[in-house]
Amino acid sequence: MLSSFRLSMTWVHTWFGLVLGYVLMVCFFFGALSVFDREIDRWAIPETRYEPQPMPSFDAMLQPIFRSIEPDPQSYDYAQDEVHGPLPPRESLAMSDVGAYTTHRDPVLDMYVSFDVPNKPKDANLDHVHVFGYATIDPRSGTVISNDKLKIGSEFFYPLHYSLHLYWKNLGYWLVGMAALTMLAALVTGVVMHRKLLRELFTFRPRKQMRSVLDLHNLTGVAALPFHFFFAFTGLVIFAGIYFPVTNSMFKPQAEAHEKVEELRTGLPHDPAHVAAPLASVDAMVAEAQRRWGERGMPGEVGFLGITHLGDANGYVSVYRAGTDRVTLTGQGIHFRASTGEVIREDPQPSAVAGINDWLTGLHLQHFRHWLLRWLYVLGGLAGCACIATGFIFFVEKRKRQHAKAGVSGARWADAMGVTAVTGMLIATGTILVANQLLPGDLPQRGDWEGRIFWLAWLMALAHAFWRSAPVAEGRLSPAWREQSWVVALLCTAAPVLNWLTTGDHLLKTIAAGYWPVAGFDLALLVVAAVAAYAARRLRRAELALVATAKPRRESLEAAHA
Amino acid sequence: MLQQVATVITHHQQRLSIGSRVLAGLLGSYVFAWGFVTLVVALGLTQGADYDEMLTLAYLLAFLVYLCAFLWAFAAASLARVWLVLAGGGVAMSGVARWLTSLLA
Repeated sequence: MLSSFRLSMTWVHTWFGLVLGYVLMVCFFFGALSVFDREIDRWAIPETRYEPQPMPSFDAMLQPIFRSIEPDPQSYDYAQDEVHGPLPPRESLAMSDVGAYTTHRDPVLDMYVSFDVPNKPKDANLDHVHVFGYATIDPRSGTVISNDKLKIGSEFFYPLHYSLHLYWKNLGYWLVGMAALTMLAALVTGVVMHRKLLRELFTFRPRKQMRSVLDLHNLTGVAALPFHFFFAFTGLVIFAGIYFPVTNSMFKPQAEAHEKVEELRTGLPHDPAHVAAPLASVDAMVAEAQRRWGERGMPGEVGFLGITHLGDANGYVSVYRAGTDRVTLTGQGIHFRASTGEVIREDPQPSAVAGINDWLTGLHLQHFRHWLLRWLYVLGGLAGCACIATGFIFFVEKRKRQHAKAGVSGARWADAMGVTAVTGMLIATGTILVANQLLPGDLPQRGDWEGRIFWLAWLMALAHAFWRSAPVAEGRLSPAWREQSWVVALLCTAAPVLNWLTTGDHLLKTIAAGYWPVAGFDLALLVVAAVAAYAARRLRRAELALVATAKPRRESLEAAHA
Repeated sequence: MLQQVATVITHHQQRLSIGSRVLAGLLGSYVFAWGFVTLVVALGLTQGADYDEMLTLAYLLAFLVYLCAFLWAFAAASLARVWLVLAGGGVAMSGVARWLTSLLA
């Protein structure tokens, strides 16, 4: 495109990095938080602050709870939009499948039900549309935890990092996908841009403003380069079905034929028989599954328990093993005929291709028990954030004096967006945590309110960032960076303090009890607050220094990038 | 005056050519990767392979293919060649895939 390969790659790195970097920041930051999403859930819902529990008895506890789960009103409304004609009344919908899911980090059990919808779907590619119902329970007692209590970790931060909560036409998934591709491209072009890669690998020039920023950008990018590449790549593979939906388009006949072959091969019926049948003891089936895993030399807990075609003669119960001790997501599923309890099928070892896919995606999704590796994931994610943030800062630093002289305001807007994407994002995060502590406990749709407050806080940070950006147009630092850093420090101090005041779980108590989900998160918040306060003070000094030396610097900006 | 008009025209042309290059990089590569996925699956099906297996394999490779196509779109000198190879190649691969699956039916 440009006069040399290196220059073209530099152009791609700069412009795609800048534009998609704002999205990528969200993916990396909330992805890093998602490593400890279940622990954040504990912090957000104090009544779930106890030890992780194994899957409880289906016959004694889960079955009556499943029967009581109603279709979720939002899911019902969503389904209505997807079908022709009016849906049957919400209370009259029949249950088709149920499932319960737990991990080694969850004190609570997630239960879901899918309900049959007889209406014809508007989308010709779909066979059926389902309505879903959900419940979260305390497995020790069967107490249902209100769906109004938002799991800020696993149900807010985690989906934010892969979907931006933007579900219309999967728009969020597409934006994240483009950002992931940009990450891959930025890593490759970043390497291409360097003329002396090995020497620059060991270069860090502190206290030299623009050079320090660039060195930090390169350091955080290269030190964790395999990590960044791997996570962007596997993230794309995980959602490949959304990006290349060939099954529902070109290969629909082949996919359907394949499903019929699978049905015959596995003995697991695809459709119900529409003949009623009783349900045998599921506890006995679970016990048999655990016995078989033990026989295969892999004794384990139940990770997922599901029943397909509930109450039907074709119904089957699937018991999957929790993959706590391995990378691969395969669950060694064992399937039983629901009416009699006999084993229909034990899932065999996956094929080579499926095994590779499971291993790669398993490393991304990390359901395994390995605390050191989890913390390394967080560090890698934060290194990615630092790489992107220093990229923004370098972009602006390199151009703002030229723009100031030319009377152009490009650098100013880029800087305001940078503030929004970095400190603005932290402000939104701190605000939802504080709101979580302050909102009334029994507020209806409490979770929806917390979500609205998150977005509103981010919007206000954006407005503030743009309002305070004028100095950048004169080649100086925007005070928004410092001001927002102070707000972050305030919020991240308030959150643990409020946790103490509203729940009584202060740091001395949680550390003494060894309850690390809450202690760890409180400590992390205080560390962030300290770093933000330190940054704010340094920024003040930098701002004052720039005012004192308001003349444009003599050294050429290209030399700084050498 | 004519010189000023000339400068405006080339600035506009430059914007268009960058825009086209970006479109080729994003969209052209997507068409190419789509064609690649369908071709891999179709070839596998003609060899009697399992549909899910071939799809998983195609997906594992697709994003590396996309990345290479994307970077090449910006590295290549001729924009016309980029469109021809990426969009044209993608459509061609997709066409071959469609023909192969019709043989199976």
